[in-house]
Amino acid sequence: MAEDLNWAIGGEAGDGIDSTGKIFAQALSRAGRHVFTSKDFASRIRGGYTAYKIRTSVDRVQSVVDRLDILVALTQRTIDENLDELHDGSAIIYDGERSWEAEIPDEMTAVDVPLKSLAEDAGGAIMRNIVALGAACEITGFDVEYLDESLEKRFGGKGSKIVENNKEAARLGQEYVQENYDLDHLGYSLETTDEDYVLLNGNEAIGMGAIAAGCRFYAGYPITPATSIMEYLTGRIEDYGGHVVQAEDELSAINMALGGARAGARAMTATSGAGIDLMTETFGLVATSETPLVITDVQRSGPSTGMPTKQEQGDLNMALYGGHGEVPRFVVTPTSIDECFWKTVEAFNLAEKYQTPVFLVSDLAMSVTEQTFRPEAFDMDEVEIDRGKLVDQDEVDEWLDEQGRFRAHADTDDGVSPRAIPGTIDGAHMSTGLEHDELGRRTEDQDTRVQQVDKRYRKVETAEEQEEWEYREFGNADADNLVISWGSNEGALIEALDYLEEDDIDVRVISVPYIFPRPDLSEEMEAADDVIVVEANATGQFADLLEHDALTRVKRINKYTGVRFKADELAEEIADQLSAEVPA
Amino acid sequence: MSSDVRFTDFKSDKQPTWCPGCGDFGTMNGMMKALAETGNDPDNTFVVAGIGCSGKIGTYMHSYALHGVHGRALPVGQGVKMSRPDIEVMVAGGDGDGYSIGAGHFVHAVRRNVDMTYVVMDNRIYGLTKGQASPTSRSDFETSTTPEGTKQPPVNPLALALASGASFIAQSFASDALRHQEIVQKAIEHDGFGFVNVFSPCVTFNDVDTYDYFRDSLVDLDEEGHDPSDYEAAKEVILDGEKEYQGVMYQDENSVPYNEKHGVTEDMSEIPEGAPEDAMDLVREFY
Repeated sequence: MAEDLNWAIGGEAGDGIDSTGKIFAQALSRAGRHVFTSKDFASRIRGGYTAYKIRTSVDRVQSVVDRLDILVALTQRTIDENLDELHDGSAIIYDGERSWEAEIPDEMTAVDVPLKSLAEDAGGAIMRNIVALGAACEITGFDVEYLDESLEKRFGGKGSKIVENNKEAARLGQEYVQENYDLDHLGYSLETTDEDYVLLNGNEAIGMGAIAAGCRFYAGYPITPATSIMEYLTGRIEDYGGHVVQAEDELSAINMALGGARAGARAMTATSGAGIDLMTETFGLVATSETPLVITDVQRSGPSTGMPTKQEQGDLNMALYGGHGEVPRFVVTPTSIDECFWKTVEAFNLAEKYQTPVFLVSDLAMSVTEQTFRPEAFDMDEVEIDRGKLVDQDEVDEWLDEQGRFRAHADTDDGVSPRAIPGTIDGAHMSTGLEHDELGRRTEDQDTRVQQVDKRYRKVETAEEQEEWEYREFGNADADNLVISWGSNEGALIEALDYLEEDDIDVRVISVPYIFPRPDLSEEMEAADDVIVVEANATGQFADLLEHDALTRVKRINKYTGVRFKADELAEEIADQLSAEVPA
Repeated sequence: MSSDVRFTDFKSDKQPTWCPGCGDFGTMNGMMKALAETGNDPDNTFVVAGIGCSGKIGTYMHSYALHGVHGRALPVGQGVKMSRPDIEVMVAGGDGDGYSIGAGHFVHAVRRNVDMTYVVMDNRIYGLTKGQASPTSRSDFETSTTPEGTKQPPVNPLALALASGASFIAQSFASDALRHQEIVQKAIEHDGFGFVNVFSPCVTFNDVDTYDYFRDSLVDLDEEGHDPSDYEAAKEVILDGEKEYQGVMYQDENSVPYNEKHGVTEDMSEIPEGAPEDAMDLVREFY
C-alpha cells in the first residue's frame, strides 16, 4: 500500500472543527486521493474536545490507525488527547499568539502560526481554521489550490467575497509556513491522481439508498447518530414526490411510517438504540399486520443514555429478539459505507417481498465517517425494485373469498399474502395487532392462530430459499485462521490483514451483512483451526449466535470503550488471540 | 368514488360485541352515514382504530383499516394522509386512548392540522378493562382503582385542542343521531384536522355520565346562536366549567391543512421500477 498520511484538526465543539475537516477531506478527494475520516466528539454544541481526523492515501483506505502525523491543535487538550497517536515525526500546528501555552513534546515539530492574525488580515478572525489548512498544505506538500474548489462548495452560497477571503486565508497560512520554517514538507509529497471520487458517510449512503429504492415517506425523531439520515432526506426526497416529517417522539415516528406503508408508500424510520426501545412497542404490530417497513438503527453506545456519541454494536440482540411474543423480522447489517447504500435498497425489497419489518442496523462509526468511492460504486442503473405481491386492480378478484372479501392474510404456499393498498377497488380490509384470520378479523380460534403464526414464519423459510444470504470474504480463503465480523468492522479487518501478512500470519476474514436470516457458517468454522469473532460490544452477541449455530466455542475480540476498531490494533489482538487457548 | 355509496357499505359483516345500549353503536352509525354523505367510498377510506371498546370499530366498519397499538392511532392516520393525500382518513378511539396514553400525540396531531377526522368516543371510563378511571372521569368518580375518586380534575379535551392550535373543535352526543352525524360530517368537510369529542355513554360501568345525564344537561350551540368562527366565543364555551355543549365550538375558516402547507400532494405509493431517472445527480452531489 502507498504511504498514508494521518491528519487531524481538534478544538472545542463550536470551533468549526467539522466543517474545516470536511473542507480538507474534500480537497484531498478532488485531488484524486482516497480519504477515510473519523470524528472524536461529545454531544455538546459548545465546549468539550472534538476532532476531525483524516487518513489519506492514493490507495483505498478504509480504517483508522493508531498514528497521527499532522495535528492542527486549537486547544492544549487536543494535543493531550492525542499523545498516544502522535509520534516523533509528527507536526503540530498551533497559534502561539493565543492565550494558552502549547506544551508540545520536544521530538515533535511545533509549527507556530498566527492563525487569528493572519485570518484577520484575510478579512476576519473566523477564518483562522482555513489559515491552518493552508499551513497544513505547505507542511505536507499539498498544493493549496486544491482547497479552492471545496471552499467554493462550502462558502459559495455566502457570496464570492467570502469565498475569495477564504482562499486568501489559506494562502496566507501556506506562505507563512513557507517563509518562516524550513521543513521541506517534512518529507511528504502528497501525490494526486485523475480519479473523480465522491466523498460521503454511511448515513448519507442510507438516505441516498432510500431515495433510489423508492422510499417516499420518512418519519423520524432526532437522535444522535441517526439524525443525519433525516437531514439528508429533508430537501431531497421532496424532489421525488416524497416527504419527511419530524414526529413528536419515536412512538409516533414508527406509527407514522407504518401508516405510510399501509397506504402503499415505501416508508422508513431511523433512530438509535434508545429510540428502538420506544419503537419496539409497535414492532409486533408491524410484523403481525404484515406491513413492509424499514427500521434503521444507527447504533451508539448504550444502555440507557450510555455514551451517545460513541461507537458500539450492542443492539444486535434487540434487533433479533426485541418485542413480546414471536414474530419474524429480517436483520440486515451493512459492512461498509457503500454497502449502506446497497443494503438499504435491499431492505426495501425484502420488506415488500415478504411484508415483514426489516431492521437495517448500522453504527455510529459508519454514520460519521466520510469515505471516498468511485461514483460507479453507486450505479443507479443497478438498483432493482421488487414490490412483491402488491396487487393491481385486475388481480384483486383472484384474492376475494366467496363473499367478495379481500383475503389480506391469505394462507399461501410461500406464506406471502396478496397486498392491496387503499384506492384498490374491492381490496378494502382491516389489519390488526390482534391475532386474525385471512380477512384480518380478530380470532382466537386455535387452528386459525396456528395457521397465521406458521404462515408468518413460512415467509422466512421462503426468503431463506429465495434470497442469497451471502457473506463477504477477504484474505486467504484457505487459511487455518478464521476471523468473523459483522457490520462496520470490515474495513479495519481488511487493513489488519496487511499488518498480519507482514508477520506471516495467514487469515481468512468473513464479514457478515445478514444476521437474520444469516449464512450458515458451520462448515467454514469447522474447517478452521482457530475462529475469532470480532465485534464492538462487551458480551459477544454475534459470537453467541455463531457458537449456537455451529455447536462449538469461538475466541472473541470485544471492544466496548466507545472507540471503533483500528486496523493496527486489531492485527495485534488477532495475533494475540491466535496464540491463546480456546475458551472452555 | 362512486356516487351510489350507501352508509351500509361501510358496515362489515361482523356483529358488534359492544354491550347492548353502548353509545358506540350510535357513534359508529353517525360516522358511517357522514362518510357516505360526504361522497366517500370504503375503498378510498382509511380508518384507524385505537385500543379499547372504541377500537373495535375497525372490525365493525368496512374500509381499509388498521387497528393498532394503544394510543398511537393518530400517528398512523397522519402517516396515511401524508403518503396518500387522495385517501379519506378517519381515526377513532376512546378517551383513554386519546387523552391518556395517546395525549402527547393528540397535541401534536392538532398542531399539524393534517386533513383528517378524529372521533373520540368519550365515555369517561375504561370499559374494556372493566371499569377504571379515565382521564375524563370526574374527580369524585369512584372506580375499582380509585375507590375515593381520582381526586384530579378531568382533562378538558376541547381546551387541550384549543391550546394546541386546533382548527376545528366539536362535540356531539351519540344518542342525538342526526346532530352527531351532521357534526362529524362538518369535521370531514373541514380543511384540516376535524376533531369531534363524542359523548358515548358506557351503560355498564358509568352510572354518572349516562344517556339521561347528557339528555338533560347538554346545551346545543346551534340553539344558542354560537358562531364557530368566533375564537373568543369558542374559548368561552370550551372553558365554561358549568355547562356541557354539543355542536361545533370552533372552526378556523382560514385553515390550511398540513399537506397543502408542505406541498405534499403526490400519491407516494407510485414509484418507478428502478431508481429515479436522474438519481445519479444524488451521487454527483458528493464530488
